[in-house]
Parts: sequence; structure tokens; C-alpha cells
Amino acid sequence: MSSRPIAPAARPLPFICARRAPLDKQEFLLRMVLVIGTPLDWPEAKKVASHVRSWGIEQLLAIWRRAKGKERDALLWGDEVEYLVVCYDDENHAVRLSLRQADILMSLVLDDTLPDQGGGVSGVQQGPVKALETVPIFHPEFGRFMLEATPGKPWGIGFKDLLDVEHNMKWRRARAKDHMDPTEYPITLTTFPRLGTKDCTTPSYPVSGEMLRSQFVPDEIANPHIRFPTLAANIRFRRGRKVEINVPVFRDEKTPWPFRDPTVDYDLHQWPEDDDVRNGAAKDGCIYMDAMAFGMGSCCLQITFQAKNIAEGRKMYDQLSPLGPILLALTAATPIYKGFLADTDVRWNQISRSVDDRTREELGELPLKNDRWRIPKSRYASNSTYISQDPRLRKEYLDPDLVIDGDLKQRLLDGGMDDLLATHFAHLFIRDPIVVFTEDLRVLDLDKADHFENLQSTNWQHMRFKPPPPGSDTGWRVEFRPMEIQITDFENAAFSVFIVLITRAILSFDLNFYIPITRVSENMETAHIRDAVSSQKFYFRKNPFPSRVGRPANTSDTSSPAAISRPPSPLGPVEDEYELMTINEIINGQQSTEGGFPGLIPLVESYLNSMNVDVETRCELARYLDLIRKRADGTLWTAAKWIRNFVRNHPEYQKDSVVNEIINYDLVKAAETITRNEGRDGLAVEMLGARQ
Amino acid sequence: MKLILSTSNIMGGGPSVIRRPTVEKSNTELTSSLRANFAAHQLAPSSTRPPIGIPTAPTRKPLQAWTAQEGSTLYIPALDVSGSALAEERSQYDITVKLFYLPNIPASARCAHTREAIDLVLRSLGVKSIDLLIVSFPGISFDADDSDSDADSPTTTTTTTTTSDPSTDPSAATTPDDFATMQQTWQAAETLHSAGTIGKLGVAEFGVQRLTRFLPLTRVPPAVDQINVRDCCVVPKPLILYAREQRIELLTHNDCTNILPRGTLRELLGPGEKGAAVLAGAAEAAEQGRLKGDVEPLWVVKYTAVVKDRGVVESKGYFAVAELKEE
Repeated sequence: MSSRPIAPAARPLPFICARRAPLDKQEFLLRMVLVIGTPLDWPEAKKVASHVRSWGIEQLLAIWRRAKGKERDALLWGDEVEYLVVCYDDENHAVRLSLRQADILMSLVLDDTLPDQGGGVSGVQQGPVKALETVPIFHPEFGRFMLEATPGKPWGIGFKDLLDVEHNMKWRRARAKDHMDPTEYPITLTTFPRLGTKDCTTPSYPVSGEMLRSQFVPDEIANPHIRFPTLAANIRFRRGRKVEINVPVFRDEKTPWPFRDPTVDYDLHQWPEDDDVRNGAAKDGCIYMDAMAFGMGSCCLQITFQAKNIAEGRKMYDQLSPLGPILLALTAATPIYKGFLADTDVRWNQISRSVDDRTREELGELPLKNDRWRIPKSRYASNSTYISQDPRLRKEYLDPDLVIDGDLKQRLLDGGMDDLLATHFAHLFIRDPIVVFTEDLRVLDLDKADHFENLQSTNWQHMRFKPPPPGSDTGWRVEFRPMEIQITDFENAAFSVFIVLITRAILSFDLNFYIPITRVSENMETAHIRDAVSSQKFYFRKNPFPSRVGRPANTSDTSSPAAISRPPSPLGPVEDEYELMTINEIINGQQSTEGGFPGLIPLVESYLNSMNVDVETRCELARYLDLIRKRADGTLWTAAKWIRNFVRNHPEYQKDSVVNEIINYDLVKAAETITRNEGRDGLAVEMLGARQ
Repeated sequence: MKLILSTSNIMGGGPSVIRRPTVEKSNTELTSSLRANFAAHQLAPSSTRPPIGIPTAPTRKPLQAWTAQEGSTLYIPALDVSGSALAEERSQYDITVKLFYLPNIPASARCAHTREAIDLVLRSLGVKSIDLLIVSFPGISFDADDSDSDADSPTTTTTTTTTSDPSTDPSAATTPDDFATMQQTWQAAETLHSAGTIGKLGVAEFGVQRLTRFLPLTRVPPAVDQINVRDCCVVPKPLILYAREQRIELLTHNDCTNILPRGTLRELLGPGEKGAAVLAGAAEAAEQGRLKGDVEPLWVVKYTAVVKDRGVVESKGYFAVAELKEE
């Protein structure tokens, strides 16, 4: 186990990210320059929404029929790291977001011959000696100041692979930096602290553009590919006003109170949406933001796993779901918005609001007249479904108020899909497609997934269940999406590897983390509270172990949809199965009660003790687990706490919640230093611990 | 009479598997999973099994109902290999077996024990071979802080203190085997290796000195040396270099060497609060078919079957074998 060669042949990008297939150079260049279609304005897109949905469902059925029997896929996994590209202006003690995404990506693609070596080479069964490492892949992101990088090919479960993750992340950052100007640097802060203040980008553009109509950020903040501005514009159009993001401000000693966001311009009359603020869009006590870029411009750490078959994928989806809020709180890194300290620690709800396309009727602010239903959550939100055909999944865990499209569900059922999975997709498909290209509506191609992905990939929940992309050997995958990006690659590797090990422990011990899905959503809210990691309790299942000795001989049996309806044995009330726990108890175990929750780290260690792991690897893994253990017990700080502390102790800070340009510059510089030194120079030891 | 104790597959077994494994390395996994498996069998109605964790329910089945005797061997509980075979093709798995030789067993007997242990595992998993056998000799404990700790000295008593608790069992204070004993024991494993039953052989807790002396005595040298996980970050450089040179992989484990002291075994089988009441108490007569006599642990074997390219532990369990000396 310990010295396995890297698993199968190269299967680069579709594995991690279905909708962005790897591009060869020419195609890449074409896409950067050309518009690939004509996107419909919202009123036109709305007319064809049902059409797209029904084609999407047909494509889904075709995929499901082809791949439901797919078996014995290896564990492959990939991480996605997102960066902000900052540009220092040392002379003026200022730092801005660089909007040179396209140039940097172009340079990465054109520069070297390395991508041609990617793929194939390392599939050779070579024992522990690796041939050429596959070059990482960079992708554009929504924000024009962002980059995303993934490993050149997915990781396996060979433990030596796990040790390559950190090194690979460092390599990615170094490569990105190599293709930047000397004044630029790729940092992994979740958000740029002063995004949306005056003069926060380079080059600088006027705000209040036609697409975003934001009074804080220019249209040029978004990736110029027509898909992205259309997405933003159509969300605004559908919603009937601009998106509305109000984050409670952190009230410090001298914060003016009641706090009214002083940066809001109430006298702008360029667009009809400028009325929003005059109609009360900006709430008292809150930092107000009005554009998709404030949310979708956040950096996350996402992990995608390939399951051995659809049943295992569905199980992992369900079992990882309750861990989402816990990992969100544990990775908290977002205490600043638009130049103010916020009273929350994580990015999640801000992203949620930044893409919330619900109308007033759907939000429940007006009686339902034109729209079909009230929708309790944004397209970007915590999960609302469980999907595993697991006898342990009790009906009580499901959301009784789940909104679904009954007709589409019926179509899926008629197509042979089981009720749980049909419900899941019928829930995702209550949304409208936001970006529709005229060219795509001519023929329904069942060998493609474009219409399905149109809905699937604009449902940004904290877990995503991903069917195999057509025409590829990739299997069923599950994406874990709640984590915040960490400042160092050491931390990002630690959390990535931790999640991988958790999935192996879940499958090996047949663990059960089910709690009612609505409790998971509540936990997601709790995770936002300032210092939730130390101050809050979360609903969590008390006993994760199966209540039987042994396990069914063949757990890969997927075919009987009836399995779910059978209650295994008399069960107590669902409320007795879980309780409120601290993050420390969830991660490190309940020490006080005999037979209490054993803790995720002890479970992982117990798993590792059952595996043949070499001493060097185990020692490295111990560093990662130690970081997480200490974050959970409060010995080490989250990035959110560290950043907040940095600001509040900065000599320039006036105790008024304002993060001014000087503090911002020093903070970003500090983040870069931390990335480089990882605490070895003493900076941020509170967050990283003493490193050798 | 020979007693064969088994745990079944403990991976789905829950509470017996993990209780604060970080607090101390111990034989808790073995003892609690044996206890859980006994309870599951002796308390269950014939067809279905109740939730585990009911150590003293009033209605215990009689011994004959949940154990099985074949000749002079008693299986506790009765061994049912019908549901324990691996689900996928053999080639999908990495199967590791660790055989714990216990103190005071002569090398001549150990050779038979080795074959027996491997045979039980093969039967249980429904396979014909295993990938790695690690043998654990009693009384050996690697000490990263003391480069001389693995010197072959019977007076080295410090080596035993961390691996077992002498206070509960006097036999735990064990002196390491001499090299002749280890060599003779190893030959049984080499024979199985030559027959293709075992892919690779390994040892546990060997330092450089012990390896240096042991290697020339082998025909099939160890490919693996298991070091306690506690020491994984402080493995001395000489050992790392030597292992690399000799192509020995240094792996981690979390077991103790004296995994089943006599007192522990008595407690497991005895009539007390935590016992399975297989043995009759000292004062009582051998009622209800309970056994009387003295038990001596002979060996313990642990097996683990991992689905290779998924990193999933599908099956893991123990067999513990003891001799009952009837009075």
C-alpha cells in the first residue's frame, strides 16, 4: 500500500471539474479571444428555461443509464486551490487586485512545453519511482483577479501520493508566480480585504457598468468571457434588483453606532437598480455589497473524490454532508469585507447572497402570482437532500419541506431512476438556467451533458454529487465544497489530506454521521458566528458506529430501491441520536463521557493503524493531524481570528472597524510572508504552531 | 484442549474498535472486540444479532449453543466462515497478517503455530495466499532514544515496560528471544513463503543491531520492519539508512508485543463481570458445561484486508489461541 505507483493513467481535468474540460493550447486561445455563442438576455432565457430543464433531465437519464452499473473505480481525488492575484504598490504603501488573469493564464499556457508532457507518462507502472510529475493545470475563475489551480492529474490513495499534495501545491503557486509581474503575487486569502473600495483594482475602471450595475465594483472585475457577465446580469435581471449582501459589522470600541455603511452612495442615478439602496437594500449595522463579485470572488478549497460506484458515491455524499459546517468553522478565514471588520468569520452566506436570483415571490416577500413556488434557499446554499440507499437513512432525516419539480421527478422515475435520486435532481432542477446560448438549443445531444450541467453546476451546494461525464472513463464523484482557503499550502494540504482520510475511515468503519438535514443547515449558520470554532456547539451524531457485528458481504449492491423503506430494527427518537457538541469534541472526541463520540481524528488514526503506512509518511500525516487537532481545541487560531487580531493590533487601526489601505497593505504582505515562511520566522505561530 | 478465540470482522463492529486509541497503545482492540464478539454470539437469538454492548444480559445461551468443538479444539465462538470471505477478486486486496508469538512458547511449537495461524486466516478470508506476514517476537521493543536498546541482552528489562503492563500479569516481564529461537521460528515462515502462501515477510520493533545480527540467519530476509507509531518521527538515522540499504520498508503499527497476557485471557473467559463465563469460577463446580482448568495463551494473529486502489479496510480481525489445561 505504501509504495504504490500513482494510480491509473492520466485523466486530467474532467475528473475534477466536468464543465471545464482540458483545453489544448489553440482551443484555449480561441476561448480567450472569441465569443463561443450568443447568450440570451434574461427575458429570452426565461422563455426557454423549461426547454433547457427537460433536455437536461433527458441528458441526466442517459448518463445515469450508461453509468449506473459502473463498478470498481479506484479512489482518485483532486483538490482545487484558488488564488487572488494582488499587485503591490510599495511606494504608496498600497496593494490592489490585479486584473491580468487573462495575460497570466495565456502566459502559463504559452510559456513552456510542459503541458505536452502531462498525461500518460506517469501511468507507467514504475514502483515508487515517479517519472515526470504532471504539470498542474490553471483555470480562469469568475473574478478577473482570481486563478484556480488543480494537480495535473488526480491523486490516488497510495500514501506517498498524500505527501506529494503539499509539494504540488507549492509548485503550483511557484508556477503561477513565475508568470506574474514582479509586483504581483498569488495569495490565498478568501477575499481581498478592500474589494469594493475606491481604487482597489489595477488597472482601475469606473464603477456602475451595464452588466453588474454595482456602485462599488466595475464590470471589468469579472472574467470577460461572456458567460460570466451574463451570469451576473441575468441573476440581477431575474431577481428584479441587484443582489444584496449585508454582513454584520464588527462593533469595536469606536465604531459609529448605529452603524450605517458610510461607503454607500444614495445619490447615484445611472441605472434603475440604483434605487435599491434608496429602497432599503443596505441594512443598518451591516457592511453592504451589491454584486456577484463580492461572493464569487472568494477563494475556496474544494476536494473531489471518485467513488468505486454510484452506491459508494451516494454514501459519501450523505456522510460528508454533516461534516460540511464543521470544516467550514474549522477553516474560517474571512473576517473582512469592503474595508470593514465583519462580525462573522466565514465567506459562505456572502457567496450565497451574491448569486441569489430568487424573485420577491420566491423569497416570500410577495404573494405567489407569476412564480411557481417559494424557495427557502439560494442556489448557493447548504445541501437539502440525502441520496444514499442506505437502510440507516431514516425518513426523519429528510427535509419535509423540500421543494421539487414534480413533473421532472416523474420523468426521472419513469426513466427508471429511484425515488431518492430522482428527488435530489428534481430539487436541483427547480432553478432556472441562467446562461443559455442560442446555438445550444437546436439539437438535443444525449451524448453531451451541457444542459444537465447548466443546472447542476449552477446549484452551488456544500456537497455536489457528480455523474460521470459522457465519453470519459471517469466514475461517479462527490465534491466537498465548504472549506475556506488557507493562507499556507501546508494548511491547505493538511485539510485536503484530512478529508481524504475521513472518507477512507467512513468507508472502512462503515460510519454513520446522519442527522436531520435541516440540522446541518442550522449548523451552517452557526459556523458563521465569530470564533464559532471555540464558542459554538453544533448538532452532531453521538454514535457513528453501525449497530451490528460484521457487515454485509457485498456492499456494492445498488439495485434495490426498496432497501430504503425497510427500517432495520426498532429505533428510538431521532432527537436522541444527536446532540450539541463543540468542534473540539467532534474532532478530538468527547473525553468526559464514557462511550461518547470518539472524534474524527481518533477515527482517522484508528484507520491509519489498520493500514501499512511507512514511518516517514505517518510522521508527515501526524503534522497535518496535529494542526487540525490544535485548531479544534483552540491551541491554534483560525485565519479569521489571526487576521482580526492583526488588524485590531495594527498601529493604524482606529478601533472603528475600518481596515484602511495601510493596514490592508501590511495584512496582504503579512499573508505573503506567512505563505513563504509558514511560521518558521515566528510570524503567525498562533495560527500555525512552532514549525521546524 | 485447544481454544480458538475469534473476533469476526471488526471493521463494522463499532465501539470495540475505537476508544481513544491515541491515549495509549494497548491491546484494547483485541480484548474489546473479542468480548463484543462473544457477547454477540452468546446473547443473540439464533438468527439475528442484537446491538452489541450488552455484557451481562440475564439470558446467556449455554456454552454448547454458541461455541463449537471439533476433536480437541473448541472454537469460541463457533467459526462461521461462510459470510467472511472477501467480496472482490483476490488481486484487488493487500492482505497483511501479523503473528504475535507469546512468551515462554518453545520455537519448536511455534512452527506449527505459524502454519495454523496462516491457515485460519486463509480459511476465514476465503483466499489462498497473503501478501505480507509480520512476525512479532515477545519481549522486543524498539526504543528510538536508545540506540543500544535492541542489543541482545537478557538483562535489558526496560524494553518490556512500555509494551505491557506487568502489574496485571507476571509473565509480561519477558526477556527477548535469543537468535537461535528467532531463526528457528523464522524458518517456518520462510517455508510458507517458498510455497507461495506468503508474499513478503517482516519483523516488528527491530533496531539496527538486531537486524544486523538477524539478517545473516535468514534465507528470506525481512522486507518490512514495523516500528511503533509513537516513534515514527524519531526513527534514528542509522536505522533509516540501514533499512534503505537492505531494502527493508519501515512501517508503523500501534500494537503491543505482549498482546494477550494470561491474566487478561482468564478475565476474558472467566465468570466475572467482564468475562464470557466460558470458564467456571474457582469455587464453583463445572456447571452448565463450563470448563475448568488453567488457560495458557499460545499465539495471537491479526489480519487486515485492504482494497488496494481504494484504501478501504474491508476486513480485519483476530484469532487468539490458548491451551486449556484441564484439572
